[in-house]
Amino acid sequence: MEAVTITLNGVEVSGYAGTTILDLARESGVYIPTLCHDPNLASTGACRLCLVEDERNGALLASCVAAISPGMTINTNSPRVVEHRKRILELILASHPDSCLVCDKGNRCQLRKLAAEMGVGLIQLQKIPQNDVIEEVNPFIERDLSKCVMCGKCIRVDQELVVEGAIDYIHRGTMVRAATLNDMPLEKSECTFCGACVAICPTGAIMEKERVYTGTATNTVTTICPYCGCGCTICLGTKDNQIVEARPAVDSPVSRGALCVRGSYGYDFIHSPERLTQPLIKVDGEFQEATWEEALSRVAEGLGQIKKDHGADALAVFGSSKCTNEENYVLQRFARGVLGTNNIDNGSRLYSAASRTGLGASIGYAGTTGSLDALERSRVIMVIGANPEISAPAVAYAIKRAVRFKEAKLIVIDPRNTPLTQFASLWLRPGIGTDVALLNGLARVIIDEKRLDVEFVTRMTDNFTGWTKSLQNYTAGYVEDVTGIAKKDVQAAARLLAGAEEASIVYGNGITQHTSGTDAVVAIANLAMLTGNAGRRGGIFALQRENNAHGACDMGALPGFLPGYQSVDEAENRQRFEEHWGGSLPTAAGLSALEMMKAAGLGKVKGMLIMGENPVASFPQPALIRKALSSLDFLVVTDMFPTETVKLASVVLSAASFAEKEGTFTNFEGRVQRLHQAIEPVGESLPDLEILLRLAEVTGSKMPYDSHQDVMEEIEDMVPFYRHVAYADTDSMGLDWGDVEGSSPGTRRLHKGLFPSGFGRFSPVEYTSPQDVATDGYPLTLMAGSGRYHFGAGSRSSRSARLSKFSPAALLEISGADAAELGIGDGDAIKITSAQGELSTTTKVSNSLPRGLLFMPISYPDSPVYELFGTVLDPQAKGPALKTCAVRLERTDGNG
Amino acid sequence: MVKQKKAPKVNLKQIEKIIAGYRGQRWPLIPMVEEIQEKVGYIPPESIPVIANALGLFTSQVQAVITFYEQLYTEPRGRNIVRVCRGTACHVRGGKTILKLVRQHLGIEEGETTEDMEYTLETVACIGVCALAPNIMFNQETHGDMNPKKVARLFEKSGKE
Repeated sequence: MEAVTITLNGVEVSGYAGTTILDLARESGVYIPTLCHDPNLASTGACRLCLVEDERNGALLASCVAAISPGMTINTNSPRVVEHRKRILELILASHPDSCLVCDKGNRCQLRKLAAEMGVGLIQLQKIPQNDVIEEVNPFIERDLSKCVMCGKCIRVDQELVVEGAIDYIHRGTMVRAATLNDMPLEKSECTFCGACVAICPTGAIMEKERVYTGTATNTVTTICPYCGCGCTICLGTKDNQIVEARPAVDSPVSRGALCVRGSYGYDFIHSPERLTQPLIKVDGEFQEATWEEALSRVAEGLGQIKKDHGADALAVFGSSKCTNEENYVLQRFARGVLGTNNIDNGSRLYSAASRTGLGASIGYAGTTGSLDALERSRVIMVIGANPEISAPAVAYAIKRAVRFKEAKLIVIDPRNTPLTQFASLWLRPGIGTDVALLNGLARVIIDEKRLDVEFVTRMTDNFTGWTKSLQNYTAGYVEDVTGIAKKDVQAAARLLAGAEEASIVYGNGITQHTSGTDAVVAIANLAMLTGNAGRRGGIFALQRENNAHGACDMGALPGFLPGYQSVDEAENRQRFEEHWGGSLPTAAGLSALEMMKAAGLGKVKGMLIMGENPVASFPQPALIRKALSSLDFLVVTDMFPTETVKLASVVLSAASFAEKEGTFTNFEGRVQRLHQAIEPVGESLPDLEILLRLAEVTGSKMPYDSHQDVMEEIEDMVPFYRHVAYADTDSMGLDWGDVEGSSPGTRRLHKGLFPSGFGRFSPVEYTSPQDVATDGYPLTLMAGSGRYHFGAGSRSSRSARLSKFSPAALLEISGADAAELGIGDGDAIKITSAQGELSTTTKVSNSLPRGLLFMPISYPDSPVYELFGTVLDPQAKGPALKTCAVRLERTDGNG
Repeated sequence: MVKQKKAPKVNLKQIEKIIAGYRGQRWPLIPMVEEIQEKVGYIPPESIPVIANALGLFTSQVQAVITFYEQLYTEPRGRNIVRVCRGTACHVRGGKTILKLVRQHLGIEEGETTEDMEYTLETVACIGVCALAPNIMFNQETHGDMNPKKVARLFEKSGKE
């Protein structure tokens, strides 16, 4: 691109052609006031406050939209410019109330800031009467359009970043304002309460509502959102050791300027009155408050006694995909080095074990191959078994932006009508559990029509011929019979995927939580390699439910792997850690999460340490889990809340929340991001890391770490692909992965199509008829998944006042056809029965479901949907099938 | 033709047929809504989601465009459109009184439609025949040199007493 030189306030500066005057000025350190400009949004030049003068001809230009051209002589502060800016500001103020004294926006109001800067006081112009406050009942956002300055930022952020389109202008001239369709309140519109408009509004027109603690933030700390696997950067505003707001960080590479409702408004669980503020010891069935010394020595004693009496393998440790990398690393060191057992696993077993196993076998790397940027650049995106709008909103935003603004084509493969289907070029609705057949069928069409990436397949993969043979049966006709998708649609999808310069495949729990989950993941990897999209360009995007699922596994909170997926079976791997830690490590692989529970039930495991997980709510068959945990001789749980699991504990260690600690989280892309402490731990709670280090000390095996930083340094040493993380760098959010990849051979990403073992491997996978769908006596298939307003097992989101207020109960969604057939209406009380259990709830008729399929959100402690699920495991990944099960419905009397 | 007493029910089928001709592209929003208005008489708000979906636009965007243009209507309009000129020349020659008379005759205010869906009353700024002021447009016909008698006759002729 050509460089253009202009004179800016008497100094010659150059920029690329197409750069706006504003961008060049900011680069050069020249201040120009703006109101409607935002770096993440397209500029519209609506407010005109960024006027500058071209001294050659006296033209006044809106610098946010005027591009530089050769010879321009720009003055950003000429008397004429200043006079015009003042006049414009006065006109804006003429239609803005003088209610600053009582406006909660306070000093964060950009209008007020600009007025102060320019010396504009109360103005003499006749006031233009404005619209009133809009009556709304949602607990998140309130709109007072009398304060609106029509900068249009809320509309643009909604349409350009979040791509929801809930609001746009309505009417014109003096009547114009931002409104939803038919000017309804937000809760009756398509609004998802992501809060992007609240964060971007320069005035008090759109504000956060029903805050737990009011007042203006006196300090802002940048940290990472603790909910889903996206790992958005959030700025926590604090005051008086309380979190008063959460805002998106505009320069976050993950979220840019937008969060979701959980990120923006779900933080209030931190100040829930239910927080555990002190360690508790159970004495005669009652919890008694204890000091840390008492509690920790009780834990050391309890675990030590079991180890002494029954051996180390009578102990089991359950780590958390919500805790930091450092905590999980120290936890597994504690399990292996101090307790002496490999019985360690983490919560991600329940939703992403299949992903880890399948991808590990195919591409040799257990995670997503590209960054969100790569996803957004893709020409074709295939989303299968995932509803990222709910489970990973930042991913959904990227996909929608690719489709709406970059002309990418979207293929959605989902029996449900998800919010993404309206953006899709092709929407396929396969029968539940038939993904493997469909994926194999797609591969077969691509091979038959010679649309594969021959070069990539020859150079980068092996076992192609062997795998091709296994596809013989998967003709388009057979696939149509099995999946119910018309031949021509299968072919169209295959052609679209294979024809793209860059294609990406996004999958989630709809794939991994089936019994055939690992096979389906392998089939996805096969398809990606076949089309040359495994890392070199495009990629495979494995969504993770929880914030640090990736990290917990990387850190070796797994029964078969030391940190960095180094198998415990190999003496060489163990030796490295033994040398570092001293002492010897257990040799045989330990028990996985569900095996631990089973062993506990059988009395083989007698003591357990659970860090930040709630298996009673998150595992299938809660009744059995409760029984298993109750039968333990000794159970220690660290948690923030008195969860169902905590109630069964012998000792409870009160843990600090994400806002109260330091450390790192690894998001679904594999991006290692730094947490920063915003407030002091609530009560006497402690960060899990501190708890573990103190516990190790009490057991007489003090670990040589003084801080999370020491732990991270050891991780960088011991885990090959964390080597480049260079602790200091995780601070800067704009860490350039490209540089890292270029310089280090042990890179953690596969961007350049370099498989860790040199080759990607095609593995044949066969379709087997699903076991987790409707059968005799249970004619309907129930699907369980995340809801927008709650999260995971609900331990945190159900304690967020606003989230629970807006979405207090789980409803069973049923298709119109099934509802009519069964004589069920909206809001009827019903009983769901499966072979395993039953659950009472109320219905909601939904047109997003096909006949025969029901949907029920997880995460509502009062409606434990997992009661209905069995403990059928994916044979390879040992994760339970928690996506679907067979049920029948009965109407019960009530509010019919 | 049997006169209906109420606003006709929205015929979404008919609208969907019109939309089908434009599906898949983004540019034809305005020609499409104009065609709907021409054939249906107005753009029913119920049709906005269907339009948005067909063109790959947000519902709010479609509403924004429709509400921006004065000549696009989201409410049913009468079978006859009466436009009273409020331009300068008509004003000088008594346009205000003519408007008052029309309002009395029809029993509605500007921008409203009679209950039997027979008339919609609007005002316009100028219709370009100032020499004949004050003017009324009755559908596509222009009626000049209006006076109380002519107003009365106009509405008698078209069925209103």
